[in-house]
Formats: sequence, C-alpha cells, structure tokens
Amino acid sequence: MSDLSAKRFDMNDIFNTLSFGVCVVDADGRVLLWNNWIARHSGIKEADALNQPLEQVFSEPVSPAFLTALKNTLAYRLPVVLSTALHRSPLPLHNISVANQQQTRMYQSISITPIQSQLNESCCLVQVTDSSTSIKREKILRSHSEILKKEAITDSMTDVCNRRFFDAHYEMAVADAKRQKHPLSIFMIDIDFFKSYNDCYGHIAGDNAIKQVADILKSQLSRATDIIARYGGEEFVLVMPHLSQKIAEQFAEKLRSAVFNLAIPHIKSRPFNRITISIGVCTGIPENDDNLLNKADAALYQAKQKGRNRCTSLPLCETEEYLEQ
Amino acid sequence: MNNLSELHLDALTEVFSIGAGRAALSLSEIVGDEVRISVPSVQVLSSKDINSTTLSLNSGRFGAVSQHFSGPFNAEAVLLFTEEQALKIVSDMMGSQMNLEELAEFEHEAMCELGNIILNACLSAMADILNFTLESSLPDYTVASADDILHRLKESSNQPYVMVLHIDLTIEKRHTAGNLVFLLSSASLANLVTHVDQFLGKLS
Repeated sequence: MSDLSAKRFDMNDIFNTLSFGVCVVDADGRVLLWNNWIARHSGIKEADALNQPLEQVFSEPVSPAFLTALKNTLAYRLPVVLSTALHRSPLPLHNISVANQQQTRMYQSISITPIQSQLNESCCLVQVTDSSTSIKREKILRSHSEILKKEAITDSMTDVCNRRFFDAHYEMAVADAKRQKHPLSIFMIDIDFFKSYNDCYGHIAGDNAIKQVADILKSQLSRATDIIARYGGEEFVLVMPHLSQKIAEQFAEKLRSAVFNLAIPHIKSRPFNRITISIGVCTGIPENDDNLLNKADAALYQAKQKGRNRCTSLPLCETEEYLEQ
Repeated sequence: MNNLSELHLDALTEVFSIGAGRAALSLSEIVGDEVRISVPSVQVLSSKDINSTTLSLNSGRFGAVSQHFSGPFNAEAVLLFTEEQALKIVSDMMGSQMNLEELAEFEHEAMCELGNIILNACLSAMADILNFTLESSLPDYTVASADDILHRLKESSNQPYVMVLHIDLTIEKRHTAGNLVFLLSSASLANLVTHVDQFLGKLS
C-alpha cells in the first residue's frame, strides 16, 4: 500500500470494516490485532482479547488442528490453510440469526500466514471467512440440479423414464450383460386399439388411460435394476436383467393380466371391451450385433398378429425358427 | 548441470521421507485413522526430458496443488493426483458421509489443504535437516489435463530442472499414488546441491 493511502485512511477503520475475520498473533501466540468482525462473531471484545494467548481468549476450546497449524506457521514460517471440508468450525465463532436470536456455529475457511512486524517480530496473520453462505448456496444449487436431472430423464405425463433415459440405459444394460454374460430381457408393450380409444373417448381420456397403464406396469417392478420407459405414444419398454426366458414369459403374462384387470372400458376393443396390451419379449445373453430391441419388436408384431391381449416371447438366438412359425 | 550423485538423491529421499512422515501424522489427526505416506524415489530431470511416463500421467484429468516458494532457492512445487483419486482422497478424509458428486464442491478447498500439508511438511523437513528456511505462497488448486500440465512444466523456461518425488499415500487402507514436482532454476538446483553437500559433509 502506498504511503499516500496509508496516511489518508486509518488502517484500524479498514480492518474493522472488513467483512471477514482478521487476527494477528505474535511468536508466543498472543493476540495483537482483533478486528470487529471477529469480535462480533466470537462475542469477545477487542480489549478482552488483546495480549491474551489466542487459545485462552475463547471460553470454548479451539480445535487441535488449528493450534497445530498455528504452531507450525510460527515455527516454520509456512502458510497454512484449514478447509471447511475437513474442519467445519475450528474456532468458536457463531452466526447470529436476527429472526430468532439463535446462535449457530459458523462454518469457516481459515488461512494462517506468517508476517513480520515492523519491530522485526515473527507474527502470524489469521484470516477467517464465513463459508456458511457458500455451503448454503451449494446446497440450493445441488437440489435444483437434482430436480433438473430427474426432469431430464422422466416422461412428464406418465412419470416413468423417458425415451432419452431408455436409450442411454439400454446401451449400458446391453454392454453389462455382454461383459458379465448374463441374460437381459426386453419387453415391448403396446396398448391395443389405442387410436380408436382416442377417437371414441377423446384425447384427455386417452392420456388418462396411458397414465393408468403406466402406473400399473410400474407397480409390477420391484428390483432396482429394472426400468420402465415410455417408448412412444402408447408404447412402453421394460429392461430387466437376470431373468430366464421362462420367468420373463411369466412376468409378461403378469403385466398383461394387471392391465386387463384394470378393466378400463374400451367399446371399440373386441372382444373384451376393455383396454388390453400386447407384449413382445426377447430374452438372451447379447453377443456382438444381436439386437434385443428389434427382436422384442418382432415379438410384439407377432402378438398383434395373433389377436392382441397376449404375450409373445422370442429367444435372442433361434429367432428365425420362431419367425417362421 | 545435473550433477546430483546417487548420494545426493539418497539424502533428498531421506529428507522427504521425514517430511512425508510428518505429513502423515498431521493427516492422521484430521482423518482419525492411520495415514501412511512414503516417498519411494526422488529424480532430478531436465524439464525437456519430462513426459507422461516420467510423471506417470496417463489420460484423464489431474488435480494440481501448487505453492511458490522462495529463499536460498526459488521453486514452484506442484502436487499431482488424478482427479478421480483426488475425489477419493477427499471422500476418505471427510469420512465418506457424502457421495462423490457432493464432494466435488469441497474438492477444491480440501485438496488445497491436503497439498498444503504435504508440501509444508516437505519444506519444514528440508528446513530442519538441510538448515535453511523458505517462504511460501498459499496453495492454489487447479484441475487440468495431462497435456496442460506437461505443457506448463516444459514452458517454464527459467526453471529448466524438475525434481520429481513419487508419493504413495494410504488413507484408511486405500492406496493412492501421486507425484510432487519441484520446478527449479539452475541456480536454485545448485543451491540445493550445496545444502545437501553441507549436510553430507556434517555426516562424514
């Protein structure tokens, strides 16, 4: 700082106006400077702190890490940082809430730097900043980003996963199954005669029907590894690892009957006059260019051809044999 | 003028091992569990000879804590860990109450502190054993790619020498390896050699 500005301002005014804590201790650890900020947040007046050993100024204990750091800085003249992450609150400083007069211990970031006094004494400058606000801000940002992250992968109408999430998840699930050589099942599900449902009952009723079907399908899943996504308009897809073909077929049947039992009226859907689904399942251990999704889609096509409200299963291999049937 | 003998390097390894021991002690106090740090080797290289192999920098991103220091010799010290390792170290040190994403926000500050502890311990060991004191800046933390780091080390033309310490760090049974790199000018390297010679002279 130039002489000019040093003359123009009283340095005490500047220290006392700073919005962070400043404290200087001498080689014996006695306080030489104690600014307003630190007085306010410790509840200890400058007059009571000056010339006292820093660790005895406070009525509560100072953290051992802080004392070690101070001792090291005085001994080796090397600067030290104490992060919020690892220490939280080394000094007994508090934030006072105006609203309820309650004191909360302040999260702090501290740096301790060696300085030389004009009398050539080795001293330490301790700077304390309040990290509560940045921690709070980070928490808000994090919760926002969690909400956005969830929204980005969720289908807003049905609350199941969206197509974007499915595409990414499918690729990973296939890669996992290939690597660990375990079976993977893909279920392609389509609501039968949905266009006529919309024509007959209107789009709002159509949306409601899709939601109800999505809910009941989702409620059938119990493992964390299983996902259901809305694939397109009235189409859903399920990805489930570790099922044998037989169990996958049984599960498909369970899905079909769950939707059947919802008994949502649909007079244009013969012969049951209610909403039904057709399911195509493909199960297998993927290798090279095998495409589970295409085969599940082919199975769905067969289920539709055979009269709807049914499940058709294809193994990943021997597909051609099945297709010829 | 890389005239460091095996004896010099052994002496420096010894000095830094003592520093590492001190750093481990400080870290143990923070973590509340055993922390072990060893310095298996010290190398002095011309900065044009450093590459990704000498620093074991594979692909990916690295966390670098740096401090500038001055005194009988001037140098910049940079502690390098892969970013992934850095996050795991912070996670271990914080007692794993948080997931890795939550830790990212604390990574910067906590890595500064970790680097500061290790660097200061090495510098204080040099001060005690080689008998000189150094002044130092506060630590700085940056995340950069291996290429960025090599580029920066090679660009520093007034510091043509690098002293590389391979560091093994074990916190709560998790093993991590990093590097501590000192960038030195010719004069600083010569001064360091002089101090090591004086130390060796006292021994004989």
